[in-house]
Amino acid sequence: MKIILLSTFLILTSCIGNMDKQISVAEMDLKLTQEWIYTDKVSKLKSNDVELTRPPGFEQLVMELSIPQVGGLNHKTHCVYYSVPYKEKVSNFKVQELKDVDSCPDNSDKGTTFVSLDGINNLKFNFSNFKMVMEFQYKKEKKKIEIPMPNIETGLVHEKYHSLTEKRLLSGLRFLRLNDESFDNASNRYLGKLSDRFSKGSAIRCHQVDKDCKTIGEYRCEECRYGWYEVVDFQCAQGGSKFCGQNHCGEKNEPACPRGIKVVEPLEAGICQSDLEPVVNGDKILVCQ
Amino acid sequence: MKKFKRFIVPVFVVAAILVAGGALFYKIQKQNDNPEQFIQDKAAFLRLIQNSSEIHRLWNQGEESREWSLIKTECLKHLGASQKFDESLLRCNPILLQCHALFSKNLNYKLVNFEEYDNAPYRYMTKSNSAYSGLREAGVSVILEDNVTKKRLDIFLADQCQEVYLEQRAYAYGEQPVAKDGEDYRFDNFNRNIYLDLHLVTNAEVNDWIKFGNPDFTRGLTEKKGDELFLPATQLTYPQIENYCSFKGKQVMMAHFFDAATFLPMDLKDIIPKKNLRSPYYWTKKASEYKSDCSLIYSKDCINKKAYTLNSTDPTWAGIHDAMGGVFEVFRNPIDPESNLKASSFYFDSKSSWHKLGFRAGWDGEGFDLRNFDFRGLNPFTSIEKFEVGFRCMREVLQ
Repeated sequence: MKIILLSTFLILTSCIGNMDKQISVAEMDLKLTQEWIYTDKVSKLKSNDVELTRPPGFEQLVMELSIPQVGGLNHKTHCVYYSVPYKEKVSNFKVQELKDVDSCPDNSDKGTTFVSLDGINNLKFNFSNFKMVMEFQYKKEKKKIEIPMPNIETGLVHEKYHSLTEKRLLSGLRFLRLNDESFDNASNRYLGKLSDRFSKGSAIRCHQVDKDCKTIGEYRCEECRYGWYEVVDFQCAQGGSKFCGQNHCGEKNEPACPRGIKVVEPLEAGICQSDLEPVVNGDKILVCQ
Repeated sequence: MKKFKRFIVPVFVVAAILVAGGALFYKIQKQNDNPEQFIQDKAAFLRLIQNSSEIHRLWNQGEESREWSLIKTECLKHLGASQKFDESLLRCNPILLQCHALFSKNLNYKLVNFEEYDNAPYRYMTKSNSAYSGLREAGVSVILEDNVTKKRLDIFLADQCQEVYLEQRAYAYGEQPVAKDGEDYRFDNFNRNIYLDLHLVTNAEVNDWIKFGNPDFTRGLTEKKGDELFLPATQLTYPQIENYCSFKGKQVMMAHFFDAATFLPMDLKDIIPKKNLRSPYYWTKKASEYKSDCSLIYSKDCINKKAYTLNSTDPTWAGIHDAMGGVFEVFRNPIDPESNLKASSFYFDSKSSWHKLGFRAGWDGEGFDLRNFDFRGLNPFTSIEKFEVGFRCMREVLQ
């Protein structure tokens, strides 16, 4: 009796379990598109534009994607795995979702399953021109999933007489995942207040260089809420330390403004108001006094 | 009990088989499941993506877009703008998006309006009013809605096409030294990526600050309408000007960078000349080539010839407009803080000695009466009730 009940229970759970994981190709296409168009970063892409044929029968990590969560306050990670078919063992394509920014493990034990589909053969990823193309065979039919990734940026172009150009699908265009939290002041984690001043000691240092011109600690100037400004400290070619906030350089007890590196002597490298003198403070920053 | 077992076991097994069969059927159904619906939804998504690139094109092309030529009349009527203005101001301008949403026909999408912001079809987003991570610069967010499926897509359009990159080179600050031993104040911007606003900040831009910025910093300011939308904002005190630029993650234009963008380099190929010569006029290298021309300096003499508009004069070598003439322009001057005002303006006739680059008056930043200004004894001849002081911002970009 017990055996009958137990086996019935097992049949039931296996059916329900499978029901949750397996989806159709069309559904997978939609699910991936709805998430992956927001991708900020693709890393660990294995074999770009090459069919995945090895190792047979083993699960492998083929790609890692960093995607903003709804609201845009935090990021999550999609870990993409693929098992190449081997004998009776069918192939499997699986995306595991990690709730925050994390490195994907080599196998899919971590996180929750976002999509999983068996029987995907001859899988090939091509990531170029800010578009992810996934080609494969499914039930003897050729399938292709194309997902534009306009949020991926590979750098900036600074050119005289021009405005800023971003190296991305369309410069200046991004897809966002907004909700009410995106505009909630209490959730705003950008750095600094409008009243912060270097002279009051309240300005946040977002980038620090040492006497060898090496960066110390984290580089956080892109997180400054009201912009940032550079100070004159160690005459480094790539610039000095930087602070978040409104720029009052040149004013009394504020840092001297950078005057450049090529046309003035190092002693005159800071700009101060004409009635003030640049003086080196304890952090080796030129301050106007 | 035995009877009960005999009865319950078959019932249980049958029920289990039914449930398992149902689940299996559901699974098969789901796999073949109306893939049509998923295909349609994906198509809707691709339509939204395609439309977002169209909106992006409109945002960047501005007055050169085909949409503007089709909706211009209705749009200007809607805005109550009857005077001519420089239509290049429509690039990266949410006003054009607003008119596109209202008047463009046969769109297969709509821009969703925000009731809380006077039904504007956009939201101005900066790091100061949004918690969304990874924003580099300010811009507008727009919600596109597919007409067929009602699916939505939020897009962000960076407000970065009304700026110009300042070439990395050696520059000069202030007027040409008169005395032989006078200080030749030079500086450079090597290894720095500096972007300058092409034009003075407009009333329409300040309207967005009032609407989307922190009300603590915009108290007392009123939104402008009609023709004033495309004119420079001249109602802000200096602290408000500083806060406006900060709202955008920028800073007030500094006097020496304004000089850099306006003094015509003697040799564009020589980025570190031995000496920076300073012509007082941005269009010529020779001080003797002064011209009383309203497209070069919009002086008092021009008021009766053509109406004042923003960007009324030719751009400088670096690309910025209104280097001379028009309204006053305030700077932050970290070298001579009391010389913070471009006095070359329509308050002085074309013969005035104020029409010289690097020669600046002073403004206390608090009010707009004569007593708030220091014209070094070279006051305007006519009495002005309220002077107009414009401003622009600049920023430095990492990398």
